[in-house]
Amino acid sequence: MTERRSTPISESSASALEWIMDELGHGADIVTRAFACGGADDQPLITLVYIEGLVDPMAVNGRIVDRILDASQTLGEAASAPERLRLLKEKVLAVGGITEVQSGEHILKSLLEGHSIVLAEGSANAICANTAGGEHRGVEEPSSQTVIRGPKEGFTESIRTNVSLIRRKIKSPKLRIDYKSIGTVTQTQIAVVYLKDIANQKIVDEIHERLDGIDTDSILESGYIEEFIQDRTFTPFPTLQNLERPDAIVGGILEGQIAVIVDGTPFVLLAPVTFNRFFQSSEDYYQRFDIASFLRLIRFGSFLVSMLLPSLYIAITTFHQEMIPTTLLVSLAAQREGTPFPAIVEAFIMEITFEVLREAGVRMPRAMGSAISIVGALVLGQAAVQAGLVSAAMVIVVSFTAIANFVIPAINMATASRLIRFAMMILGGTFGLFGVMTGLMFLLIHMVSLRSFGIPFMLPMSPLSISNLKDVFIRLPWWALSTRPRLIADPKANVRQGKNQKPAPPSSSAGERNDE
Amino acid sequence: MVQYSRFQLSALIILFQIGSSSLFLLASDAKRDAWIATLFAMLVGFALLAFVTLTIQKLAPRQNLIDILLAHFGRYAGTLLAISYVFYFSYKSIRNFREFSDLMIVYLLPHTPLAVVLLLLILLSAYAVYQGVEVFFRLAEVLLPVVLIVYCALIFLLIGADIVHFDRLQPMMEEGVRPVFDAAIPEVISFPFGEMVVFLMLWQYYGDRKTLSRVTLYSYLFAGVFIVITNMAIIGSLGPVSLISSIPFMMGTSFVQIASIIERMDPFVALLLFTGVFMKQTTYFLAATLAASRLLKLNHRTMIVPVGMAIFCGSLMFRSQMAQVWVGFKYNLKYHFPIFQIAIPLLLLLIMLAKNRRMKVRA
Repeated sequence: MTERRSTPISESSASALEWIMDELGHGADIVTRAFACGGADDQPLITLVYIEGLVDPMAVNGRIVDRILDASQTLGEAASAPERLRLLKEKVLAVGGITEVQSGEHILKSLLEGHSIVLAEGSANAICANTAGGEHRGVEEPSSQTVIRGPKEGFTESIRTNVSLIRRKIKSPKLRIDYKSIGTVTQTQIAVVYLKDIANQKIVDEIHERLDGIDTDSILESGYIEEFIQDRTFTPFPTLQNLERPDAIVGGILEGQIAVIVDGTPFVLLAPVTFNRFFQSSEDYYQRFDIASFLRLIRFGSFLVSMLLPSLYIAITTFHQEMIPTTLLVSLAAQREGTPFPAIVEAFIMEITFEVLREAGVRMPRAMGSAISIVGALVLGQAAVQAGLVSAAMVIVVSFTAIANFVIPAINMATASRLIRFAMMILGGTFGLFGVMTGLMFLLIHMVSLRSFGIPFMLPMSPLSISNLKDVFIRLPWWALSTRPRLIADPKANVRQGKNQKPAPPSSSAGERNDE
Repeated sequence: MVQYSRFQLSALIILFQIGSSSLFLLASDAKRDAWIATLFAMLVGFALLAFVTLTIQKLAPRQNLIDILLAHFGRYAGTLLAISYVFYFSYKSIRNFREFSDLMIVYLLPHTPLAVVLLLLILLSAYAVYQGVEVFFRLAEVLLPVVLIVYCALIFLLIGADIVHFDRLQPMMEEGVRPVFDAAIPEVISFPFGEMVVFLMLWQYYGDRKTLSRVTLYSYLFAGVFIVITNMAIIGSLGPVSLISSIPFMMGTSFVQIASIIERMDPFVALLLFTGVFMKQTTYFLAATLAASRLLKLNHRTMIVPVGMAIFCGSLMFRSQMAQVWVGFKYNLKYHFPIFQIAIPLLLLLIMLAKNRRMKVRA
């Protein structure tokens, strides 16, 4: 990055304004408003500059323009330029965030962030009033991570709203929000959010270090940040979580994780993260623990199915027919009799067709959705079977695989299993079960070698941590989760809540008491 | 700094010891007394481990076998012995690779060329070796629960389906003690119980030196008892047939049929075979790589390709599976392995103790 220049602000408002307009290319959305305040018409004493659309018009009109007009008499009578500036700051401008700036670059930066600049004739300083606002999407229900029970609010594109959503949930003075801007051109605001004394300070420092190391011109989405700061690039597995739900992010922060909010996207990053976190939904903690545990197991199972089912089908039907019960084998053989391709080719045709359908479903205009589903379900499903291109069993296998893939709460983990599936299919088609086992072992070696910000990716399984296992495959009731996950949070902040909180009916029941 | 935890050490020892030995009938020469022979060999192995192998490590903590050999046998003899250990580890690895590939071809892939299966396996092991000691131990930690759960489920099914009849173990020691001892010594000691010598390459990375012996011995005992139990289950379920079956455990479980839903357990046995032998062959591969890299003073990753190539070529050199098994039983187990597992460590220990005493006297 080039070193920041510092241009002094001209004492003449007119030339200062000229400089600003030149720098910003005389854009039509730059609004200037001169207030004569009793001075000469061509030399107004006070000038206001802001960029339309970035500011909150109510604030600019009501708190700056109105106030200056009301006070124009007093301002005109002020003895000197510094005196006038002081008056403006202390008596006139009714805006919370006010700073006095000395350099032209600072003015430009503030303008682009939605601040209003007040220039006073004869002063080399300018006032910068925070009037940031303007149009953006309101808080809505998250579109990609929905729950049945739980808060319905989701993050928005505005970093301010997002930070406030977190602040509202954690009313602790220990909540730390470190801002920085990344991207030499876009100057995107990034906020690192964590709880001091609960998050591990070493990991916080590591995240800061990696963020500060980013040298790029633009950050448009948290995906940019993710690829710059993740531990390993060549892996199908994500080592950062992205979440659209404030409650899920807050849950992570309370367990000692660190959130990275990027302005302009509702997807907030969470690190460090372990494998099992991708199978948790925030709803797990709102539902009864028994169904939550059951659903967790279903999710892990679905992940395996989505990764392995086609390859196992290929392997068994091609190499190990003796493993199939006889009646099933007969019906499978009857189905496959008419199909021209070997199982692996058939599987590839169907899988790729499904991937195409899925991508089409995301891209096409909503109005055409029903057309695609008819084409997809009827033409490619039933008709392909009737035409003898693929066997019916293969259609079942592929569709169940696809459905299982949607069970995984984290989309980036679901996509990992999608990619791995194809490699597994090749292994299953060439080496049978042996190939599938080799592939699984390879994945396992790879997974235990992964780390997320220094934390082993397979944490509660390896290194084994019995206390962390309370919230992995099953979720114990809340009163039993008395400690934070080991290794992620600061070791000193391990205890989360009191022990022996298991609820029980009162020792003498209310009915008995009434009888007395 | 590479380090691993107590549970990780325990997991690798158990997986390494169980390896594939639970699937086969150890000490089959002792017939229905095989389990007694195994138990006996296990106890001898325990003594060997406690008094020789572990003691060597305790006298020279933070050093691996190659360091110790070079330090105590002098430059020439030490180097020679160190090289021979590189060969020993590689050879053990070769035997495992070859055996594994042959079984895979027999049971799962009858039409696939041996070299292709071998290559895939060696690439897989090389990847684990490339990731290093720490990752390998973590892998063991993840695999151990899976392996134990599958084993327990299978044994439970064997008993549940009323296949295991422990009366097949009787009469005990019909022909006296002699055949039992003959079967145990030295075959069962050198496979699998004496194999613990390979841990002399890995113990130096263990984090907590104080618990080293305790963790190692407990894990060894656990694995040993486990092997004896599976041995009993195999004889109990198959009787005399277990002596001629090539994977008796698989044969035993193939009889399991409960309510015509739970049947065909072969894939699970294949899974156990896969993980067990994989861990064993990779441990030896890793040890050979570490030893060779220590000798040549190179990064261990640079040695993966030459050692891997050697293992690949070596595995192809046996003419057939039978040749491999025959060489193993006829010569290796009786004459060759005991040298590396018992004789050299014992000699090394004596030298170390003598030197220690001299040091003390001088002090």
